[in-house]
Amino acid sequence: MEQKGGVLMQRYELGRLLGQGTFAKVYHARNIITGMSVAIKITDKDKILKLYEVMASKTKIYFVMEYVKGGELFNKVSKGKLKQDDARRYFQQLISAVDYCHSRGVCHRDLKPENLLLDENGNLKVTDFGLSTLAETKHQDGLLHTTCGTPAYVAPEVINRRGYDGAKADIWGEFKFPNWIAPDLRRLLSKILDPNPKTRISMAKIMESSWFKRGLEKPTITRNEDQELAPLDADGVFGACENGDPIEPAKDSKRCNNLNAFDIISYSSGFDLSGLFEETNRKKEARFTSDKPASIIISKLEEICIRLGLKVKKKDGGLFKLEGSKEGRKGSLGIDAEIFEITPVFHLVELKKSSGDTLEYQKLLKQEVRPALKDIVWNWQGEQPQQLQHGVVQKEEQPSYPGISDVAPPQTA
Amino acid sequence: MGCMNSKSVRKFPAREDSLDLAAETAFTVNEVEALFVLFRSISNSIVNDGLLSKEEFQLAIFKNKKKDNIFANRIFDLFDVKKLGVVDFEDFVRSLNVFHPNASLKDKIAFSFRLYDLHNTGFIERPEVKEMLIALLFESDMKLADDVIETILDKTFVEADLKQDGKIDTEEWETFVKRNPSVLKIMTLPYLRDITISFPSFIFNSTNVERVDETSTRL
Repeated sequence: MEQKGGVLMQRYELGRLLGQGTFAKVYHARNIITGMSVAIKITDKDKILKLYEVMASKTKIYFVMEYVKGGELFNKVSKGKLKQDDARRYFQQLISAVDYCHSRGVCHRDLKPENLLLDENGNLKVTDFGLSTLAETKHQDGLLHTTCGTPAYVAPEVINRRGYDGAKADIWGEFKFPNWIAPDLRRLLSKILDPNPKTRISMAKIMESSWFKRGLEKPTITRNEDQELAPLDADGVFGACENGDPIEPAKDSKRCNNLNAFDIISYSSGFDLSGLFEETNRKKEARFTSDKPASIIISKLEEICIRLGLKVKKKDGGLFKLEGSKEGRKGSLGIDAEIFEITPVFHLVELKKSSGDTLEYQKLLKQEVRPALKDIVWNWQGEQPQQLQHGVVQKEEQPSYPGISDVAPPQTA
Repeated sequence: MGCMNSKSVRKFPAREDSLDLAAETAFTVNEVEALFVLFRSISNSIVNDGLLSKEEFQLAIFKNKKKDNIFANRIFDLFDVKKLGVVDFEDFVRSLNVFHPNASLKDKIAFSFRLYDLHNTGFIERPEVKEMLIALLFESDMKLADDVIETILDKTFVEADLKQDGKIDTEEWETFVKRNPSVLKIMTLPYLRDITISFPSFIFNSTNVERVDETSTRL
């Protein structure tokens, strides 16, 4: 099949050359199906990066990555002094990004203004992980040893060739104090610029400093042009459930989607082929069944949200959006909670992360949400130990009579 | 055509084979190569023969070789196009293709119909659905009374079985699915969009040839 001129792998239309280094060229390109702008880095087969897509031929490797329209922070800085508020916002975003990498065991090892890009909204993006490494590649002494980085910016212990802590090296920065630097900022910078990596400030301590925290009370440090929907009045949503009995059943049935037989069958993990691609414990969804009416499930979720500081928004059917106000590693944590009716007194609830950091979500789910839901959970889906526990507790099921509950309740210890 | 021997199957697929599979599916040549990295690891997990057995398939999905499952069995049976009891790489790619986000709705509807036609009668019949529903309830440790199960089946067949003859044919299924899109959610795997990022080591064996460099140099 003949390939069109300028079309890469039948998928991307190549545009102008954006940059060129010793080992690679970077082109602007457009996905010919979706129209999305991307940057494509073309390198010989000696470097590997993971971004939107990886493509290869016999002699070349292609990395498809986000196109960051605003250019390098270096260009902004080289034109003159930044306002302190702007500098702080860039620094907050940089610390957030590097903290995310460290939480995944990745050390960048080439942090400098040329590798900090700005998108069209002025948000910072970290690029060029060509020198990055994983924590697992440390020597037996727990340190990294390869000498790398750009000479003007590299931390002193990297040059000394005695082995270094990659996470500490990423915090190093060179600076002389002009007299207009504020006192709290001087204190912070002195700790960052400590030549001794053992006493140099840690990531967590940076995030605790008063200078860093200024302005973080706002819902997000990321400027976003999408308008956020005004949250619904949570009391108004949940208050309806506390009205008189005659109204409650109708409200419940309207609020939750009914499952047909095929919906129920499709929840089998045997139909879920994502296990081929992902470790089982990293799934986004958690599901549980409950033998309580929807109103009780909703009240319990509301109670949990109040305690965890999450806002609740009501959506269509039985869908609720739970949103954190604190800034996490990947923006605010968002969880979708959806309630499905199997029978009027038996429901399936699905919890799914919709935004934010996966590790944070799983930690919150494991340490806070699941213990708090204990009263209303019949069992969690896809868990062998839970099944065994029910098996032990379960008594012989009583014969079913008209008017008696269709579901045998679990015995409480 | 002809039988593949185990030696040739273990090697990275030839360029022509990758090109052919890419041409007839939503996958690119590189994505086919990345899928081979996946296929090789799961198909050799128990017996190193370059073919995927039902046991290896279950192990790949559940990470537990002892777990048997009526639904995973059903998917495997549909992947096993040649009815040999094992799946080769070509059939693996062609079958996975129906789960690609870009695969046609028509193909997803047809595959899901065969998935639920448990006894291959050409219809989705009430006893088959009941069998699957009970299997799911057992798998999930849900205890529903018999009359509740019948009520769910009644409600479902009232909506799906338009001719009210106790079984769902392909036309009825298409109508039902278009009114209840959630029934098809298992038919799409978003992971298939990121296959080259999930299995990037294919780049070391890629036999792909492209001519874009010459053109891009002139841009």
